[in-house]
Amino acid sequence: MTALEAWLVAPLAHEFMQRGLLAALLVGVVCAVLSCFLILKGWSLMGDAVSHAVLPGIVLAQILGLPLAAGAFVAGLSCSLAIGYLKEHSRVKEDTVMGIVFSGLFALGLVMFVKVESDQHLLHILFGNMLGVSWSDLAETAVIAVPTIAIMLALRRDFLLVAFDAAHARAIGLPVRWLNAGLLMLLALTIVAALKAVGIILVVAMLIAPGAIGFLTTRRFDAMLAVAVVVATVSSVIGTILSYHLDGATGPCIVVVQAVFFLAALALNLRRAARRATAV
Amino acid sequence: MIELLLEPFGYQYMVRAIWVSALVGGVCAFLSCFLMLKGWSLMGDALAHAIVPGVALAYLLKVPYAAGAFFSGLLAALAMALVRLRTQLREDAVIGVVFTTFFAVGLLIVSINPTSVNVQSIVLGNILGIADEDVVQVAGIAIVSLAVLLLRWRDLMLVFFDENQARAVGLSPTRLKILFFVLLSACTVAALQTVGAVLVIAMVITPGATAYLLCDRFGRLIAIAVALGVVTSAAGAYASYFLDGSTGGLIVVFQTLLFLAAFVFAPKHGRLAAARAARSVSETRP
Repeated sequence: MTALEAWLVAPLAHEFMQRGLLAALLVGVVCAVLSCFLILKGWSLMGDAVSHAVLPGIVLAQILGLPLAAGAFVAGLSCSLAIGYLKEHSRVKEDTVMGIVFSGLFALGLVMFVKVESDQHLLHILFGNMLGVSWSDLAETAVIAVPTIAIMLALRRDFLLVAFDAAHARAIGLPVRWLNAGLLMLLALTIVAALKAVGIILVVAMLIAPGAIGFLTTRRFDAMLAVAVVVATVSSVIGTILSYHLDGATGPCIVVVQAVFFLAALALNLRRAARRATAV
Repeated sequence: MIELLLEPFGYQYMVRAIWVSALVGGVCAFLSCFLMLKGWSLMGDALAHAIVPGVALAYLLKVPYAAGAFFSGLLAALAMALVRLRTQLREDAVIGVVFTTFFAVGLLIVSINPTSVNVQSIVLGNILGIADEDVVQVAGIAIVSLAVLLLRWRDLMLVFFDENQARAVGLSPTRLKILFFVLLSACTVAALQTVGAVLVIAMVITPGATAYLLCDRFGRLIAIAVALGVVTSAAGAYASYFLDGSTGGLIVVFQTLLFLAAFVFAPKHGRLAAARAARSVSETRP
């Protein structure tokens, strides 16, 4: 076995590393698929808002003894509804409304958390605990992530048309409002799926970077999706194994590896632009 | 009862937390008036996350945390400007990629060296347990920023509303914008200690947005926003004594509740006023 192979394989001798890697792959891929749509729609920061807003839902579900995923999903959706309502009915700009709503909900979650006697560690909700996921957590993640990916891929043409030209989409009879609402729901579901592994703060990074990398490297949507998924998969593997050797947190490692890919895509993009400029 | 209410003032750390929070809340609220009118709200959020690696490294190397924060904030701002100029990515995606990357680097540094600084106090703030030398830095930053703002707010206002006019009267918009971003990063650094990286965004937009629903003149807007920022921050710090923690959460919850109250009850721009206006229109036109 070469040194590189040993470096890659050694961590996987542990069962918790195998589970962690599976969780990282699942979450990475579902986030990557969604990130392509978010980038094209200009909704990158919606992911930021919804993921923070999920916190009070989780805490409340804990108090009431309901499944955490249900609480998180409801809170995430209420956040996007509240943003829409406040924007329609006041003269405050959309980005400001977004900031006010998600920070307010996150703060509410923090305050409620103080009053909860809980076995859940706050930092695990915020940053996930990739290497501590159990097989049942993994199953829960898969049950949410796999159908989410399937729906997004099946409806990708419709989502794409709505993102590029809503008027045209409406003209050919697509239910634009429902597709937008559906995308928000898929966003909330993805965040719920990512909860156990990467937590609600770092999921934002995984919801932006792969799509941005795809956008920089290719001009075709299917290719963009493929690039995003491949980058997310490779980053999840390298990041998880790197975190074992560095003895650092897994989520941040994956995000940093994605950032390295982003820099590479950026360099590629700039070189292409330079070449195009000289050719003309 | 009154004894119980006065109890927090008997502890030096509580008194200190209250006045430091109020000071920081006031300066951030001052800035919020500019930020939310210009549509730059998310810059505040991005900066707050982007300074985390600087803070982590500063604690690790035992240099003043403000210096590290400032340096990494600057680096992030440069990175955002560069990526935006050279690619076709949308602005929000550029901001998102850069700040989440910086934040992840910060978390990675902290996770590799867990002893130098506590993750929780960076992300969620820890004003009740703030160290003496950090108080000096926070108060210094806040007082200097406040002084600069008091001296230059009219110039900034002119630049933000009408750049041509500003240029015509001999101001330099570029220089003033840079000044504004320096002030904003300084205040994010200060606010990081009180409410933590995640909630800084509320400190630098919510008071301004609330005031914006309450009045139409810029001078008054600033006065109301600063008053709201000071009162909510002091009240949040005070109330956290009874809740055993989560100062940042309480401050932001108070700010959000006031925003919602203004959204419903504001005399001219509130929902009730709008409903009243709609009713009187339909009555005059049967």
